[in-house]
Amino acid sequence: MKAVILAAGEGKRCRPLTLTRAKVMLPVANKPILEHVINSLVRNDIKDIILVVGYKKERIMDHFEDGVAFGANIEYIEQKAQIGTAHAILQARKFIGEEEESFIVVNGDNIIGPDAISDLINGAEGDATVLTCKKDDVTNYGVIVAKGKSVKEVIEKPKTLVSHLINTGTYLFRQGIFELIEQTAISTSGEYAITDTLQLMIDNDMDVTMTITNTEWLDAVYSWNLLEANTIVLGDLETDLEKGKVEEGVDLKGNVSIGSNTIIRAGSYIVGPVVIGDNCDIGPNVVILPSTCIGNNVSVASFSYIKNSIIMNDVRISTHSNISNSVIGSNVSTGPNFITEEGKDLLIQIEKELHSAKKLGTIIGDDADIGGNVLVRAGNMIFTNSRISSGKTIAEDVPADSIVI
Amino acid sequence: MCGIVAYIGDGQAIPVLIDSLKMLEYRGYDSAGVTIFNDTLETYKVAGRIKELEKVIPESVKGNVGIGHTRWATHGKPETRNAHPHLSSNISVVHNGIIENYLELKERLIGLGYEFQSDTDTEVIAHLLHFNMNQEGGRSLLEGLKETVKELNGSYAIGAMCNENADMIAFARKDSPLVIGIGKGNNYAASDVTAFLKHTKEVIFINDNEIGLLRPDSIEIYDMEGNSVSRDTETIEWDLEAAEKAGYEHFMLKEIHEQPTSIQNTFAGKLSELEGNVTLEELYLSKEEIKRLKRATIIACGTSWNAGILGKYLFEKLAGIHTDIETASEFRYSNPVLCGEELTIAITQSGETADTLAAVRSSTSYGCRSIAITNVVGSTITRESDSVLYTRAGPEIGVAATKTFTAQLIVLYMLAINLGRARGVISADEAKDLIVAIKRLPGQIQKVLSRKDTINECAVQFADKRDYFFIGRYLNFPVALEGALKLKEISYIHAEGYAAGELKHGPLALITDETPVVAIATKGHTYEKILSNIKEVKARNATVIAVADDDDTEIEKYVDVVIRVPSTHELLAPVLSSVALQLLSYYTALAKDCSIDKPRNLAKSVTVE
Repeated sequence: MKAVILAAGEGKRCRPLTLTRAKVMLPVANKPILEHVINSLVRNDIKDIILVVGYKKERIMDHFEDGVAFGANIEYIEQKAQIGTAHAILQARKFIGEEEESFIVVNGDNIIGPDAISDLINGAEGDATVLTCKKDDVTNYGVIVAKGKSVKEVIEKPKTLVSHLINTGTYLFRQGIFELIEQTAISTSGEYAITDTLQLMIDNDMDVTMTITNTEWLDAVYSWNLLEANTIVLGDLETDLEKGKVEEGVDLKGNVSIGSNTIIRAGSYIVGPVVIGDNCDIGPNVVILPSTCIGNNVSVASFSYIKNSIIMNDVRISTHSNISNSVIGSNVSTGPNFITEEGKDLLIQIEKELHSAKKLGTIIGDDADIGGNVLVRAGNMIFTNSRISSGKTIAEDVPADSIVI
Repeated sequence: MCGIVAYIGDGQAIPVLIDSLKMLEYRGYDSAGVTIFNDTLETYKVAGRIKELEKVIPESVKGNVGIGHTRWATHGKPETRNAHPHLSSNISVVHNGIIENYLELKERLIGLGYEFQSDTDTEVIAHLLHFNMNQEGGRSLLEGLKETVKELNGSYAIGAMCNENADMIAFARKDSPLVIGIGKGNNYAASDVTAFLKHTKEVIFINDNEIGLLRPDSIEIYDMEGNSVSRDTETIEWDLEAAEKAGYEHFMLKEIHEQPTSIQNTFAGKLSELEGNVTLEELYLSKEEIKRLKRATIIACGTSWNAGILGKYLFEKLAGIHTDIETASEFRYSNPVLCGEELTIAITQSGETADTLAAVRSSTSYGCRSIAITNVVGSTITRESDSVLYTRAGPEIGVAATKTFTAQLIVLYMLAINLGRARGVISADEAKDLIVAIKRLPGQIQKVLSRKDTINECAVQFADKRDYFFIGRYLNFPVALEGALKLKEISYIHAEGYAAGELKHGPLALITDETPVVAIATKGHTYEKILSNIKEVKARNATVIAVADDDDTEIEKYVDVVIRVPSTHELLAPVLSSVALQLLSYYTALAKDCSIDKPRNLAKSVTVE
């Protein structure tokens, strides 16, 4: 069986991190979300994968290439305008081929476990099958109203509570879906949505079914949700110190994994789960606490303290820094004594709406250049490519490309 | 360049040979052909692409043994009769290289009654092999080939088949690359491992003056005295898959985008920031030897030569070593004054560049120590140099060098820092600043790549111009040369790179309002100077495109278009500027609809002189 992964959208709610890459490329446990998805498909022996890409597609193609390194055979197809999931799936038609009876569609920006994929395959019936999972809070999701396995209605972001079964955006379709997509009308929001195609099928008395999974399915709606997802996924981390070098006098507790040519210098104290990528230089005397992931080519200088954070590739953290509950984008550099304050139950404004974050330090976009003795007040974000002079306190969001003097 | 392939085993030979030939396409070719044993030797060849070759082979042709060839014309025009394989009654031969004494041999063979079908040097090998196999009561294919190559002057990698010994393929090598691939019940030979990497990663690199036989289950290798040579197999760690385009329209764009990763592979495990040093264990030079060095000579061709100019400036600035930069094809025929205490640094992506190899041989013959900077593990230069620094950029398929160029620059920075530290020319702190700047390059290159749309706009705007000038000073001079080379290679626009100070000594006469001038104007001690050069060309109404730092707030006042690169250490700016100019060339060629990955008349690795 083949799979189509939808990976063309930006994921605006995860800005500033998605200003430079699509949401599918945001790292959780040091792997892009999309890599978790591909791994789960491959574990189910689904190796022919069609990636529908669009926004910042080069970053995706550079990472996955033709898929062989991930045990898959990846074909790329570009969705030039992001005008809906149904339109995206239609782009993949020529790669599915007419001999394939059915195929899977999965969102590239949700972490889905291998068992969830097999739940879908094993539970599939009828003309189309939706994979659902139960959530207490269904705001922000589409829900499924079903009678037994039979889907009666698909409702996007319901105002009142009608169901706890949310649509994971994972489907098993038959060949006929393409013709139905072509008949799907454009929605009021100007998109061709696959949920509208499903509703069309239900209205035409076709057999749309659903199957429930109780296994891992994670959605990072906002960038700070990445930290929660990171904690969950790092729960499965295994210790691996073979590829790098750990100097004498380093104390490692719990599960810690380090990549090739990475060195952990003397006096460092690391409590897992912590995963560190390739070519990193950590320490001496650095403290890293759970649940932290650090990308490739990152330097963390002495006496710094990092807790429950995601540090992306090519980052340089100078001495005496304190980073907690934060996400630091690629190619960020910070001067000495960089401090992120952490806060609880914060309200964070995104596009004029307030959203709550349980616990957060800061989110820093790619390419930010931050001086020494900078303090970022809890919940304030620094956008891409901004420069902050030494000694500043950041008490409001810093827009992209700005200079704080 | 020409490429040869051979297959013997239990599978169908044609698909394997065709596929292998396609993998050699990047070397550049104008004609192609195969010989297959289908009860008797059958040969098919065309002047044109491999696709056309596939069309002329009837589907009924089957066989488990065959040889194939892609030809890049040197002796004789690209015509079907000049395409390989070349035949002599029951014999078929493919060859990469040049036979210098072919005219003399040809006359002799004509005297013996042989008729020539082609203008090539290779055909003499076929007839000579036929002649030798029929001497002294008949020789075997292997014996015949041994006698034949003894009479050849020049370079060759040969694959040969004979109707009567169709269970084997004979091969021989001198000065042209040849590698054997070992499969299970299937064996392969080719000019380049990429040809059969899909089938096996176990290989044997054949040395000069070795000859042998390929059978389905065994490989035999002999020296010229007929002694059997036992050789260990090596495992290739490249993934062929990396050689596929993976969503990109062209290999070149894919390779440009690989640079954040490829340069990280180049410096991985070698930079020691805290100690302020670069570890190059594979250099095999003691601190005393490094201190004694008086002079270095960098030898290279093409893009590698441009990298070499930067190398010269770096060795002089960071290591205090007087350094010459030589074009390999000139060095050999000039009269280099060598006393044996020099360091020879040869830069060649493929490790097979004929002129560079010959230049290294001539310098080592004076007792000079040689360092090779190359991308290809096991290539000829790695066996002929005292030490090898690998660029580790992975296979590059696009004919225009991109990621291998920046990887060469990184190796040169690392070498210069290493030598400079050993000689006490730079302090640990200065070295640390450079190392930090190198480590920041992957993220900064990513930032340059994210500006592709702006660069594309600039490229489209000037794509219809006939001439382009690239100017730069000091470290930006090689950037200007490489920028011009890239542009002319793939977009066919006439482009010249100049040291900006040289403009008024002639080329200024060519500047009009129709010539865009790219000025590489990153910050540094020549910044003020390049500004005055910009004013010079502006006064001649030229449109000026500047490559400038993010930090530069002045430059807009002087130029028409600015391509921005992240600010870095002055010495490291050439890496970022080069990436920006690679994109400029790519998008210019794209706007002109040129054959980007295989420009006309060019070959990836030039294995002939």
